[in-house]
Amino acid sequence: MSLEPSIFFDEVNQRQGVFHRRTFILGGLGGIGALALTGRLLQLQVVEAQKYTSLSSSNQFNFRLRTPPRGRILDRNGIEIASNRPDLRLLMRRDEAPDVEGTLSLLATLVPIPPAKQAQLAKELANGPRSIPVAVATDLTWEEFARVSARSPELPGVIPDVGDARVYPYGGAFAHVIGYVSRVSADDLKKVGPHPEPLLLHPGFRIGKQGIEKALDADLRGKAGAQKVEVDSVGRVIKSDPAGDIASTPGKDVVLTLDADVQNRALEVFGSDSGAAVMMDVRTGEILCLASAPSFDANRFVTGVPSADYRMLAEYDHKPLLDKALSGTYPPGSTFKTMVALTALENGFDPKRTYTCNGVFPFGNHVFHCDKHHGTLDLHGAIVTSCDVYFYNAALFCGPDKIAEVARRFGLGQIFDIGISGQKKGLVPDTAWKKRAFKNNPANQKWFAGETPSMGIGQGYTNINALQSCVMVSRLANGNKALLPRLIRSVGGVLQPSGADVPDLPVNKEHLAFVRKAMADVVVSGTAATTAKLGLDPIVMAGKTGTAQAHTYKDGKGAHGAVGAWALRDHAWFVAFAPADDPRYAISVIVEHGGFGGDAAAPKAREIMRVALLKDPEVRARIEHAMPTDALKSSDAPIDGAAPDLPTQIGPGPALPPPTPLPETDQ
Amino acid sequence: MTASALTRPGQRDRLSEKAAEIDWRLSALLLAIAFLGTAMLYSTAGQHWTPWAARHLVVFGVCFGMMLVLSLVNLRVWFIAAYPAYAVGLILLAAVSLVGHSAMGAQRWLHVGPIGVQPSEVMKVGLVLALARFYHGVSAKDARLSWKLLIPLAMIGVPTLLVAHQPDLGTAILLVATGAAVMFVAGLTWRILALGAIAGAFAIPPFVLFVLKDYQRDRVLTFLSPEKDPSGAGYHILQAKTALGSGGFLGKGFGLGSQSHLNFLPEKQTDFIFASFAEEFGFLGCFFLLALYAGVVAVSLRIASISHSHFGRLSAAGLTATFALYILINGAMVMGMAPVVGVPMPLMSYGGTVMVTVMVGFGLIQAVKVHRYAEITSGRGSLL
Repeated sequence: MSLEPSIFFDEVNQRQGVFHRRTFILGGLGGIGALALTGRLLQLQVVEAQKYTSLSSSNQFNFRLRTPPRGRILDRNGIEIASNRPDLRLLMRRDEAPDVEGTLSLLATLVPIPPAKQAQLAKELANGPRSIPVAVATDLTWEEFARVSARSPELPGVIPDVGDARVYPYGGAFAHVIGYVSRVSADDLKKVGPHPEPLLLHPGFRIGKQGIEKALDADLRGKAGAQKVEVDSVGRVIKSDPAGDIASTPGKDVVLTLDADVQNRALEVFGSDSGAAVMMDVRTGEILCLASAPSFDANRFVTGVPSADYRMLAEYDHKPLLDKALSGTYPPGSTFKTMVALTALENGFDPKRTYTCNGVFPFGNHVFHCDKHHGTLDLHGAIVTSCDVYFYNAALFCGPDKIAEVARRFGLGQIFDIGISGQKKGLVPDTAWKKRAFKNNPANQKWFAGETPSMGIGQGYTNINALQSCVMVSRLANGNKALLPRLIRSVGGVLQPSGADVPDLPVNKEHLAFVRKAMADVVVSGTAATTAKLGLDPIVMAGKTGTAQAHTYKDGKGAHGAVGAWALRDHAWFVAFAPADDPRYAISVIVEHGGFGGDAAAPKAREIMRVALLKDPEVRARIEHAMPTDALKSSDAPIDGAAPDLPTQIGPGPALPPPTPLPETDQ
Repeated sequence: MTASALTRPGQRDRLSEKAAEIDWRLSALLLAIAFLGTAMLYSTAGQHWTPWAARHLVVFGVCFGMMLVLSLVNLRVWFIAAYPAYAVGLILLAAVSLVGHSAMGAQRWLHVGPIGVQPSEVMKVGLVLALARFYHGVSAKDARLSWKLLIPLAMIGVPTLLVAHQPDLGTAILLVATGAAVMFVAGLTWRILALGAIAGAFAIPPFVLFVLKDYQRDRVLTFLSPEKDPSGAGYHILQAKTALGSGGFLGKGFGLGSQSHLNFLPEKQTDFIFASFAEEFGFLGCFFLLALYAGVVAVSLRIASISHSHFGRLSAAGLTATFALYILINGAMVMGMAPVVGVPMPLMSYGGTVMVTVMVGFGLIQAVKVHRYAEITSGRGSLL
């Protein structure tokens, strides 16, 4: 043991003493640090434990929005005219996808996503809210869908989703009435305020843009549900938790008064013609047909119409996007003569009074014309032959205010609450209106005498839409009630008010009967004698033709009838009801620039009317009862030597009545 | 033969006698903590021994054996090795900044054949040894305040700058704090300490703004307001706090920590293992764990204070300070009280390098205990 102290002992002790004191302090500092940590732990784990527990569970669980099935739209017989089909699609959430672009390019190897679309999707994902998914692929085949689902562990954030897509089984037939659904636009979002419900942001959600789909969107939409899934930090679904799912509430079904067969037939008979057809039940005011032609395929708007296609639709001069039944207004032409005749009768005009027509009617310094030289006619004959000269006189007898008053009583120039927007009011002019309308042009405020003859034949300022025209003829046919049109029968099973629950029509019944009789004769021997015969004896139709001037003839441009440039031709009208003796249905057909009403509009009305009549059991019973069953019975006894006739095949199609059952014969 | 390590009369410098002097309390505490760490790694891996728990246990076992061997190494050998160890550490640090392997944007690793060495780890032990060796030959008066103290300042400053340059902010802080602790227990005057503290406080804002790399600055700024970007830079802090807080008083139960199992917790097996532990064992478990660590620190400081040699005292105290700083910094970081600087929780966190460093440190502390009566010459300049 060799001790070689190089430092004095007191030095050593001094150093040791300092060390002990300082180490004690150091230990104390460490203790304070430990206390601080403990305090912090107390704060986090005891005081704020609740807050972090809920944060932790929200970390674990994600709610994935489930879009509710949209309510269906049905016709009066329960046939779906708007329904849903399953749509296999892929959604993607940014908050669950750590590498959006990588995942998209891997996905593109499984389902077709072009590179340009990938870039666009990546941008959309990056800019959108983090928890709102974006649809990266829709309408996949089962095969593609299964391929992606099988590899979903490699595709974090990609959510295979079986959703609903709107489908319109009849394509364009109902496009204007029921409208369509489409992606939610920025404008739609602006309307609902700063915090839209999450459903609106879901890529599978479609919002009603027009017609019933828009008007009843709140009812059809339903309420969103949610699927609860446990996910890890990169969004891989660890497991689903069905107990935590929130079921979605499907939208309400809407039943319309429309009849799909009638409506389809209307679109069929229009072919490439432009115009509208409206049919109403004259007992209830229910609209069976509200068609506008040409139409467009509403299904294409659900997924998004390419802009080139949209431009084509928008620029076509037949205006397929316009609902001509509600928002197209036209001069009523000679169909308005029913109103003039009624006004005259209501004001003591003697129907036996005659005027002589030789084609012209000089009035003031102007000469009014008529199609033909009708000779001497009374009121009945004037309606049947649609003589203008007679009605120039009749109108002058009544004056504009009285005609307008009656016309309004019949619904012209009015907007009806049928549940969808888009109706144009049109105009039934009178002296008061002129005063108001020409405030800035006092010289024109006066009603000029020469304007009255024009009004008498439904020209001049007079403008109506097809629905008003149909309401007019419905009220004529009903005779008692001021019927109101009704389009929506029920929403979610709740019936809407009936159109027949309305005040009486304050018009003399005999006068109505007179006009109806004249209309019946229009089809028998008048302007529509060759084109409006139903061929359903004993059921016949009663109607009134109209040929409304759409363009001035003066410069030789406009043309009377179906000649000349399309856009300059007359509009063709036909209003009708059937059966003539016991009216059930009323129809109004307008063919834009169709030429003569009797030629262009009446056959269409006839065809549409046939469908409605043949579907009506009462009418059908009358037709079938009228068949000569006695004659059929006589064939019961086989004739010697002659082979019995095979049962005659009648048909095809539902347009003709099926054969009365033949008695069985031995063969 | 120089003086026996065990200088009590009649005692011989025999291995078996030395081994009996190894502090069993310290060993037991270390074992307990390491086993808790292993259990946590087992749970975090979804109740699997792979990939972390088994390796952690094996590495700890090897290091524990190494600690036992090191405890038997004569304190004089440690004394002799002090300056060379520091020199080697310094050379390696210089080398790593020239040819080092870069990981996560920082050059920390040096590959010598198949072995990867982190020179900053060598330096953690080397610095303490060198400082203790220096103060061993300095009088109390000089240790209080003299021009000689420029030498330990340089000894701390040079490696710190090299480490900060890598950049490894956590280790740099650790080196400065450890060095300061050794200078403090060696008797540095309070005036300098106060001055240093004030200067340090004033230096922080310009340091954060102008010296730190972008990601480091982000971490500091994020620490100050983590809620600003909960999914970006603030994610780690927020998720760690969520894990901790959701543990509550009793914890979610072993193997039931959803935060760590669902990978919401970042670095759950290394820097944030404490958060996983806290989530599953709650406040009670954390308190118990902190108590174990406090026990380790207390026992180590006790060993330091019973050493007869100033070298033994200072080196044991310095290494204890390092160990305590690890815990405090990591704890504060996980609990959202300090920026994320990448300091692991010793013995709990997965990772061999820190384990080796810490266990070498405890080997030295055990050696100080075993050789507490050893006399060491001041050896001014001389090694023996």
